[in-house]
Amino acid sequence: MRFKLLSYGFLLAAGPALAARFYSDDPLDREPPPRDASKAVRRKISDYYDFFQQTFAAPGQQHPKGGPPIPAQAVNTLGEPMDGAWYTKRHYYRPMTVQELVDGPGNRNPPSTDGKWTVVKAKSEGVTPGFEFIDSQKRRYVLKFDPLEYPELATAPDVLVSKLFHALGYWVPDNYIVHFTRDQLVLGPDVELYDAKGKARKMTERDVTELLLRVPKAKDGRYRGGASLFLKGKPLGPYKYFGVRKDDPNDTVPHEHRRELRGLSVFCAWVAHDDSRSINSLDMLVSEGGLPPHIRHHLIDFGSTLGSASYGPNSPRSGFEYVFSWPPAIKQFFTLGLWVPDWAKAKYPPYRSVGKFESRRFDAEGWLAEYPNPSFTNRLPDDGFWAAKQVMAFTDEQIRAIVKTGQFSDPEAEKYVADTLIVRRDKIGKAFFARVLPIDRFRIEAGRLAFDDLGRRHGLTRSAGFRSDDEYAVAWSVFDNNTGARTAIPGASSLAVPESSAEYLACEIHAGEKQKAVTVYVRTADRRVVGVERGWQ
Amino acid sequence: MHFLVILLWAALDFTALAQPQSRVQEIEQARDEKSRKLEPDNPSMFEARLIEIKDKKVIERITAGIGGVRVKIGGMPTGSGFAVGPDYFRNDLARGKLTVNAGLTASTARWLRYYAGVSLPSFARDKLFWDGNLVHRDYNSLNYYGPGPDSEKIRRTNYRLEDSAADTILGVKPVKWLRLGGGAGYQWVNTGPGRNNRFASTDTVFRPAQVSGLDRQTDFFRVGYFAQVDYRDNPLGARSGGFYSLRWDNYDDRNLGRHDFRRMDLEAQQFIPFFNKRRVIALRARTVQTYTRSGQSVPFYHHASLGGGDDLRGYRPYRFNDANMFVMNAEYRWEVFAGLDMALFADAGHVQTARWKFRANQLESAVGFGLRFNARNSPFMRIDVGFSHEGFQVFVKFNGIFNQRVLASSAAPHLF
Repeated sequence: MRFKLLSYGFLLAAGPALAARFYSDDPLDREPPPRDASKAVRRKISDYYDFFQQTFAAPGQQHPKGGPPIPAQAVNTLGEPMDGAWYTKRHYYRPMTVQELVDGPGNRNPPSTDGKWTVVKAKSEGVTPGFEFIDSQKRRYVLKFDPLEYPELATAPDVLVSKLFHALGYWVPDNYIVHFTRDQLVLGPDVELYDAKGKARKMTERDVTELLLRVPKAKDGRYRGGASLFLKGKPLGPYKYFGVRKDDPNDTVPHEHRRELRGLSVFCAWVAHDDSRSINSLDMLVSEGGLPPHIRHHLIDFGSTLGSASYGPNSPRSGFEYVFSWPPAIKQFFTLGLWVPDWAKAKYPPYRSVGKFESRRFDAEGWLAEYPNPSFTNRLPDDGFWAAKQVMAFTDEQIRAIVKTGQFSDPEAEKYVADTLIVRRDKIGKAFFARVLPIDRFRIEAGRLAFDDLGRRHGLTRSAGFRSDDEYAVAWSVFDNNTGARTAIPGASSLAVPESSAEYLACEIHAGEKQKAVTVYVRTADRRVVGVERGWQ
Repeated sequence: MHFLVILLWAALDFTALAQPQSRVQEIEQARDEKSRKLEPDNPSMFEARLIEIKDKKVIERITAGIGGVRVKIGGMPTGSGFAVGPDYFRNDLARGKLTVNAGLTASTARWLRYYAGVSLPSFARDKLFWDGNLVHRDYNSLNYYGPGPDSEKIRRTNYRLEDSAADTILGVKPVKWLRLGGGAGYQWVNTGPGRNNRFASTDTVFRPAQVSGLDRQTDFFRVGYFAQVDYRDNPLGARSGGFYSLRWDNYDDRNLGRHDFRRMDLEAQQFIPFFNKRRVIALRARTVQTYTRSGQSVPFYHHASLGGGDDLRGYRPYRFNDANMFVMNAEYRWEVFAGLDMALFADAGHVQTARWKFRANQLESAVGFGLRFNARNSPFMRIDVGFSHEGFQVFVKFNGIFNQRVLASSAAPHLF
């Protein structure tokens, strides 16, 4: 009998170990080197199928009804996405200079005007006319244009919003505004063109000329276009906002739970990117930096942002309602239109270069894309805060500098866009900071736990929901890394890190609203903040 | 028993050994597991078909046909039933400057239409347009209720209209919103007994003294002029702007000398948007006035008609006919969602023998509601339900309610 008990006791002690909350390599800053994904093949997505699937089928894993929500994944223990194939920590984490922001993903490879641009392909995707060309430096670009009656409407946002998304951490193409005359273009040999009837034929110089008849021409005879430098690598088609890519060994986290995709909803709200559908993303197989061929996930095509729909101004509904949604449709149907949604009363600017972009009725939390994107609908308050803190990292001056890259010919239009972005930025900060305790950048300084109160930093402390002083309720406890149990440390209620022989300490901080408490985990061995956990309202 | 417990825990302990010891290891384990299950990321069969349809431009090819030959559905007046036929259409000739169109349409009511046209939609630096058309129509059962505002619903008859015409127009576009021009043509007309046995033939119910042109037909040489002002935001689905049109046509009876007349068509459309164009008041007024000298009359087949899905929507198609006509339409439209607008409408109008005699107490009126299904901001189908003192009518149409053709904007526009 004793043997039995002893042996059971031994087995219990040596039995299945509980997964540790923290590992010695936490928090990871970068994803581990990717695995070889060279067997992945190009895939296509049907735009219509995608739209109807997202609108009526709700694909992907949603938060369980009545159960605890599914926290964001693909993050380190601080709650930050790791640098890698989806995302790179940039402006918020390492403030960029105005020049770096303006440069965006490159800004050093504009199409060379030393020689002709050789048209090599007619553009077949998207709603605006265009083609692909190779410059004298053998660089390949996609050239897109504005709608005839709305000069700058699509090309300006395509450039300036790409800079914003780059600073926000995403992989984006290197976009340029170009001005050129007809004789800058020559047609390459054997370029095929699909006419309006779907018939393939050889493209002619006249086709190039006729395409240019459909785009705005400046008084000096030059055309304005948006040239997008071809992305590095081999294109593998768009990614989806749910599930994983089945042929990518590195894609293990369902996209609807990736923080950088949940948080993307906030960034899209900021710049009115309601066209943030799969079709405007692109996976590329890249081999660089000594890494094996792996898939990098890009956002592309920002011509339908800032109130533009690329072919004209966007619908005033955009951002406020899905293209189709039962509740508003039913209301409209049965009230004979007497129910007037708030967005229908919005006022828009008189500039033809700016679409339906405004700030007064902008609802940061309620903003909607064209369809119920599963990553966006899964956004939790901590996802929102993660994104909002990055939006708030842009100063007025930086926003104005980036807007300038859109090269609006009308300074008033440029000012309007910048002003609108600034107001929308502030609304985002106000909305998402209010849902959590907006403190971040935790670190140990001189034996004390230090952090930045972003609410105070951005002047939001006087608003409802924020404290007007810097007093926080603090409670330290010993944290058992194996069981997750916390044992309070009596008297440890200041930000000073208590002396303890425990491996991990936990510090719970709140500012009066306990449900918004932030728990910070400190590893005592190297006195490093290794984990952050946020509660929310 | 003791042995089994040890075995169980040993198995669990083996699992424990697989527990990652670092975050990197945890991630690598997930990748290991994924690597064992890699498979091509293929779309579902249904999505694959949709992709194929897009890539192979199937819809464009069906629309364009083979070598310009395609199947055309519709294109006949109300009452024809389902109409379909081969159509040859090319707008890529002479580098896109020349459009050619020819075809035959037959309907379930055995109506026939042959047509051929050639046009230069835009030449002389986009300032001029020209169009030439030949058409032969054999509509064997057009509704006819007799002339005048007091025609009776129960006196529904039908007649056969068989005519051929050759017309040409030449126009100028001095500015984007203005079109001016004129045209000339010749029309050969024949009418006969209606083929719809459910209703009496017109010639058995009405006498030639009542219905001008019933007994003898003639040919016409016609000359016309027009002016159109169009500043709608989207001609296919206007939400703002206006459209104003004036046409003046001289019809010269070449055989009988009894049916010389002049005809004026006036139309005004105005679209008043509010709430960011998500609500629109659409107004239209249209009149046809004819002028004849003493001893001349307008033949009944050239009368203006009212009733049907395009004007008085609570009445049957062609319910009222006479030499002069006036109609007003008002619609309140609101957007339900991007693909659907709804409308409440009111129509009023009447036909008259005498010119410019509008009598409020003789107005026929209808009210109703409609659904407009949109694709890319243009309606592709509408359903209108109209109510009047004669009952209700349901119209399913594949055009806009106020779609007045802009001359020379399509392959075969007709001035007449």
